[in-house]
Amino acid sequence: MEMVSEAKELPRRRLIYGVLYLLLLIFPFKAGPYWTDVATFFGIYVLLGLSLNIIVGEVGLFNMGHAAFYALGAYTTGILNTVWGIPTIWLLPVSGLVAGGFGYILTRPIIHLRGDYLLIVTIGLNEILRITLINDPWGLTGGPNGVLGIKRMRLGSLVINRPIHFYFLVLIVTTLVVVVLLRLQRSRIGRAWNYIREDEVAAEAMGIDVRSMKLLAFVLGAALAGIAGSIYATKMMIISPESFTFWESIVLFTIVILGGMGSIPGVIVGSAVMMVLPELLRDFMQYRMLFFGAAMVVMMVFRPQGLWPSKRWQLEMGRETEE
Amino acid sequence: MRKDSVVVMVLILGLLASIGTAAPKPIRIGLQGPITGPWAYEGEMAVNSVQIVADQINEAGGVLGRPIEIVIGDDQGSPRQGALVAQRMVSEGVVAVISSYGSSVTEPSAAIYEEAELLNIAYGATAERLTERGLKFFFRTCFRDDRQGQFFASLVDHVLKVKRVAIIHDNTTFAKGLAEAAKRFLEESPTAELVFYDAITPGEKDFSPILTRMRTTAPEVIYFTGYYPEAGLILYQARNLGIDALFVGGNAAINDEFVNIAGLDVAQGSIVTQEPLPTDLPYPEARDFLTEYIERHGEAPSTPWPVYAADALKVIAAAIQATGSTDSRVLGDYLREGLQDLPGITGPISFDPSGDRAGAIYRAYVVDDLGQLVPY
Amino acid sequence: MLELFLEQLVNGLTVGSVYSLVALGYTMVYGVMRLINFAHGELFMLGSYLGFTLLVSTSIGKLGVVWGLVVVVLMAAGAMAVLGILIERAAYAPLRRSGRLAPVVSALGVSIFLQNAAMLIWGSRYRAYPVWAALDRRWQIGGVHITLMQGIILGVSIILMLLLYCMIQRTTLGAAIRATAIDQETARLMGIDVNAIIRFIFIIGPALGAVAGVMVGLYYRQLHFTMGWTYSLKAFTAAIMGGIGNIPGAMVGGMLLGILEMLGAGYISAAWKDVFVFIILIALLILRPTGLLGERVAEKV
Repeated sequence: MEMVSEAKELPRRRLIYGVLYLLLLIFPFKAGPYWTDVATFFGIYVLLGLSLNIIVGEVGLFNMGHAAFYALGAYTTGILNTVWGIPTIWLLPVSGLVAGGFGYILTRPIIHLRGDYLLIVTIGLNEILRITLINDPWGLTGGPNGVLGIKRMRLGSLVINRPIHFYFLVLIVTTLVVVVLLRLQRSRIGRAWNYIREDEVAAEAMGIDVRSMKLLAFVLGAALAGIAGSIYATKMMIISPESFTFWESIVLFTIVILGGMGSIPGVIVGSAVMMVLPELLRDFMQYRMLFFGAAMVVMMVFRPQGLWPSKRWQLEMGRETEE
Repeated sequence: MRKDSVVVMVLILGLLASIGTAAPKPIRIGLQGPITGPWAYEGEMAVNSVQIVADQINEAGGVLGRPIEIVIGDDQGSPRQGALVAQRMVSEGVVAVISSYGSSVTEPSAAIYEEAELLNIAYGATAERLTERGLKFFFRTCFRDDRQGQFFASLVDHVLKVKRVAIIHDNTTFAKGLAEAAKRFLEESPTAELVFYDAITPGEKDFSPILTRMRTTAPEVIYFTGYYPEAGLILYQARNLGIDALFVGGNAAINDEFVNIAGLDVAQGSIVTQEPLPTDLPYPEARDFLTEYIERHGEAPSTPWPVYAADALKVIAAAIQATGSTDSRVLGDYLREGLQDLPGITGPISFDPSGDRAGAIYRAYVVDDLGQLVPY
Repeated sequence: MLELFLEQLVNGLTVGSVYSLVALGYTMVYGVMRLINFAHGELFMLGSYLGFTLLVSTSIGKLGVVWGLVVVVLMAAGAMAVLGILIERAAYAPLRRSGRLAPVVSALGVSIFLQNAAMLIWGSRYRAYPVWAALDRRWQIGGVHITLMQGIILGVSIILMLLLYCMIQRTTLGAAIRATAIDQETARLMGIDVNAIIRFIFIIGPALGAVAGVMVGLYYRQLHFTMGWTYSLKAFTAAIMGGIGNIPGAMVGGMLLGILEMLGAGYISAAWKDVFVFIILIALLILRPTGLLGERVAEKV
């Protein structure tokens, strides 16, 4: 029954998504620069959430230090641009590569760690990086002040500096990422990832190279976060360690779990909740964060699978409760 | 910290001087500050102070015959919010912005104002770097960190007359900047010697290891440039470890809370280097301003910063009046070259070519036996 | 130089024993429920604030130092135990069957809630424990500075940990806890009331945390609503170092963390201290993936 209704639903759902995307294209022309800026930052969070979703959502690796990779991307752009004057447009992919490379080097020795041990190690990496940035090694990172004077991106004669430019930059990158991730989810790699998440031992027994698959997820997630960091750096023109704290990692982690592990729409919903909810609660003044904490508990208690869980995840959960 | 992750925000529009139909168009000036968040009290006092000056100007007939309208933007003390607010100010079309409290918030905002060629005057951003980048539209009515560091070095040489100095900071933008400036000026001192220099982590409670290590260098004076919660603990723990060096704090280190945490017996005699409190400013403008402030809000501003915001508005108004223009380029040139010793609440105001305020006023205060700060 | 080293060691053990007490709450909950209870640090913080209020606003302090403190500590511990059970019921019990990560987010929510509750009750300003002349004593033994509070913290922590260890190893209740930690389903079949065990864990952990909170308040005298967060991360690190789920592991891990921190800050640099600690932690986990005393169990993620 379900399968049939789903097949009927598909064209309608495509229509809805199409209309929503059209709205996204029109949005900045109607909303004014301020709300366009707000939407841009929201988009950066969606990008970060998607990158972490690969690691936590698809493979089930506990990463609570994702802000480290975000920082690596931002600082790569910041340092290479201000010290060597490399144009920031080139640094967008370079930052992704550097963050991905660090993702490989840093997680290679620890990839065998299980669950919570991996969790504390990723927190540790986040803290190590943040403290290192603050302590200004070789005068590169500018210490607590951070790096400033980062140039805008240039595309031919177009300087990406207006809110609407950044909006479309983020929209284009996010769209590309979503398309790639959707394909990846249905590929052999995506299935292998989910298999590892559900049962690592069985996956290994089935001939999946668990270690390489996990590393791949980390490298990909780190690279995407690096790209998000690069965009953030040229948007702000200044970056400092306080934007990349453990708390930032927790927000990203919560976005993934709250939205629904392994679910792309879930990440968008999760980002919206983490960004918008505190604002809606603004009327409560100093009680705002109190309600926010309570809301996190309530959402998890009533929707432990997330606000918008992935289809495959729902099926699995259904099976588990039947047992 | 948590508010940092909040992107969407609501701007509060402060509409004042509701005017009849025939009234001239108001001149709109932005005020960016931490209206909510951990430094909400600073934002509130800045709004109060700026409002008083705006009302005074409007009662006296406004600027160029036009009233002043203040547009308030809440940056929550977060750099990202600061960037958003700056964007908003630019699109609102304000003539100039008073912005902001905290160097790490002010920096990204200043970059956006620079790009939009909009005059912005900071009131609580003291990091040296801000004026070292050749920004054309950035000014500040507060003084740079290095001036306070210089003041400390001269205090050591000429007043305290001690030789062995230890400096501890907490790795925040402000505290590290001040510590580095103090270090630089101490190195030029003929007599004093820097025997210890290290950083602690804010939010921690146990500083005995660093203090135990410091004890071996036998300092006569400890200069802590960070904030009061750690300052109180450091002093208390230093005394427990048998260190009896004189304790000197930077302008964020010593207040009632510091005395409370360290305990009155221990805190007594500690010295702080800071801008004069509004109540200690000797100028007639300051007395008028304070009278008005106390009348409206019951007490004087508790920190030095809000009056710098008020002065920023005075500067902007004077520049518009003198040039007859609201173009930021004209105003900026005037502030650099034309403005001389404008009588402000915090004393005569002039700017050097980099946008820094000329001169400096610092004081040393000491904690007396009642826990009050009295001039040293 | 030796005195200096010994003094740093004493500093480290004092801080470390506080980490141990808090880490025990983490590790016991983890052992039985496989849950990282990020809200545990907030109970430590609330315990500290409660002790402050009892000392400042009631006449308990008049009972004298020894009895006054005993009453305050017991009341704070009792209150936190009740709160611990309530939290378990409200935020964790409904999530026992829904994966590993949903309860973690729930715990983070509880943590934010409690932090802000503390801010609303006690304000966002720093609070200071009253000065107690009788506690403000210090000695110099062979060049090593030691304060009375350091001695009390070390003594009380060690006694509590020994008691807990004996209870877990020697009593029937302890055996039931160990059995539940190994396999909840089997324990249930063996006639163990798993819910009762979980409740018990949520009494002991927060109570120990509250004791640590009051001692930290007396030692450093300074309170802030964010302090739970800092200790939470440290205690979690300590629990992992020792091998999470392992009770002696939490004790050893806490002490080790305290000593590493103090040596790092004392001999390397206070600014790089946490980097030093985390690098050692990572190196340790690369060599021993389940911590110092952790058992090599195949864990299903």
